[in-house]
Amino acid sequence: MAGLKCDKISMKFGALSAVQMVSFSLNPGEILGMIGPNGAGKTTLFNCIIGILKPTSGKIYLNDKDITGMKPHKICRMGMAKTSQIMQPFMAMTVFENVLVGALHGAQLKMAKARTETEKVMELVQLTEHADKLSNSIPVPARRRLELARALASGANILLLDENMAGLNPHEIDEALVILKKIRDSGKSLIVVEHIMRAVMGISDRIIALNYGAKIAEGFPEEVVNNEAVIKAYLGEKLSSLKVA
Amino acid sequence: MKSRADRIILLLFLLVSAGLFFVPGFVESEYLLRLITVVIFWVGIAGCWNIMSGYTGYIDFGPVVYFGIGSYVNAIAMTKYSLAFFPSLFLSGVLAAVVALIIGIPTLRLKGAYFAIATFAFAEAMKQITLEFDRTFKVSFFQGSDGITLPISGHDNAFFFYCILPVTFLVMLTHYFIEHSKFGYGLKAIKETEIGAEISGVNTTAIKLRAYITSAFFLGLFGAIEAYWITYITPSEVFNVQKTVQMVIMTLLGGMGTFLGPIVGAAFLTLLSESLGTRFVEYYLIMIGAIIIVAILIMPSGIIGTLKIRKRLRFI
Repeated sequence: MAGLKCDKISMKFGALSAVQMVSFSLNPGEILGMIGPNGAGKTTLFNCIIGILKPTSGKIYLNDKDITGMKPHKICRMGMAKTSQIMQPFMAMTVFENVLVGALHGAQLKMAKARTETEKVMELVQLTEHADKLSNSIPVPARRRLELARALASGANILLLDENMAGLNPHEIDEALVILKKIRDSGKSLIVVEHIMRAVMGISDRIIALNYGAKIAEGFPEEVVNNEAVIKAYLGEKLSSLKVA
Repeated sequence: MKSRADRIILLLFLLVSAGLFFVPGFVESEYLLRLITVVIFWVGIAGCWNIMSGYTGYIDFGPVVYFGIGSYVNAIAMTKYSLAFFPSLFLSGVLAAVVALIIGIPTLRLKGAYFAIATFAFAEAMKQITLEFDRTFKVSFFQGSDGITLPISGHDNAFFFYCILPVTFLVMLTHYFIEHSKFGYGLKAIKETEIGAEISGVNTTAIKLRAYITSAFFLGLFGAIEAYWITYITPSEVFNVQKTVQMVIMTLLGGMGTFLGPIVGAAFLTLLSESLGTRFVEYYLIMIGAIIIVAILIMPSGIIGTLKIRKRLRFI
């Protein structure tokens, strides 16, 4: 079991380097936090890993197999799934059916088994009460959990969560964190992109910080948030060091 | 999910299909029998379009090409290779499906308007190929604009009724299967968001291709049956874009991506144009046009689709 390993990934859009030579690895059973200001390249990095984009250079290994440039559905079936920052449920389907798609196609289960699996996943992320509602008629926190459920139902061992707590209030964040810990304890590894520091600090085993597409820090949560470069990336220079005219 | 409403609809569908089986025995009027046959024919054809475009949201603007290929395969197999009708019919479906496989791989990579244009262009290209092939290569194969006369069958309307009914039945059964299967959930997921479907593990290319080929196979069968029925085919007739337009309008009117949509849409439009056409010979096309416009304005998701949304119902 080697989990996920990214080796010097770069992604260029024309002249713009959205991701530059980022390397990191994710160990089994670990929660890796990923932070960085807006535009730091977190979502682009995720899209490269999951196969939506093909990185300009660099290699991605999933359980020691090179998955660079593979199609997303293949990567999904190999055990890695992502939730999107911009929620895209299958609107015309019920919540149950949304999750069922993951179980049928991602985990490649037969209909009867897929249904039991779907029920199990919905129970885990507390969606059972919404099962028969259309996915566009449920509140935002439930939609966030739906994204999570779809990824889980696909049988993934590695989950990439792109701002899965965006738009939640503090109370809902606490609930979401409990669910994430439950998921981790069931033997899955997670990469969590999050802006909410309290959430990412409380849950991550390690954190990496990105800025302008490059990795600027990596380490335990306390180390990273006290890192000079990270503080500078978020807040800029100290006021006293700026030359004020 | 199989709801009770779905089971009731399936039961009704099976009962009606079984009932239709006895229609030629009861209906004395040849006109009425022919009219019923035409309705069933269009339900099946609109259904073919619905399988691909209705469920995936990929607007295919050249489905008539597979209808035409079916017609031509059947005509050529029967006249040039003296094949009997039923083996020839099967061959027509299979060859249409094979062409769909070859054409589908490159065109299904396109999205939106580009896919519509590519399929439309392919249909027009096939029409030109059948028109010009013989003159260009100095052979007698497609017989260009002279068309091909098929062997006169000597069969009555009831025979063709019994040819068309099972094919339409199979098309609609495919719909029911789509509604409640892994394949169907894949198609519906693609319609919503293709990337979302991919990251949930849906092999979008393979699923789209499967729908495209299924649709082409049935269209090939319909094309072959029609060729044998009217016994004379020309490229501009069998590849006529008007057939495509009819399939699209019928399905849109009934409701895209629903089981009942093509049935309701095709029956509504065929019966409407029949009843108006006989009474208002000069104005009926204007009237139908107006009715379609009003219908789409009131019910933008089609009759069945809008009913489902307005009444918050969930059925197929």
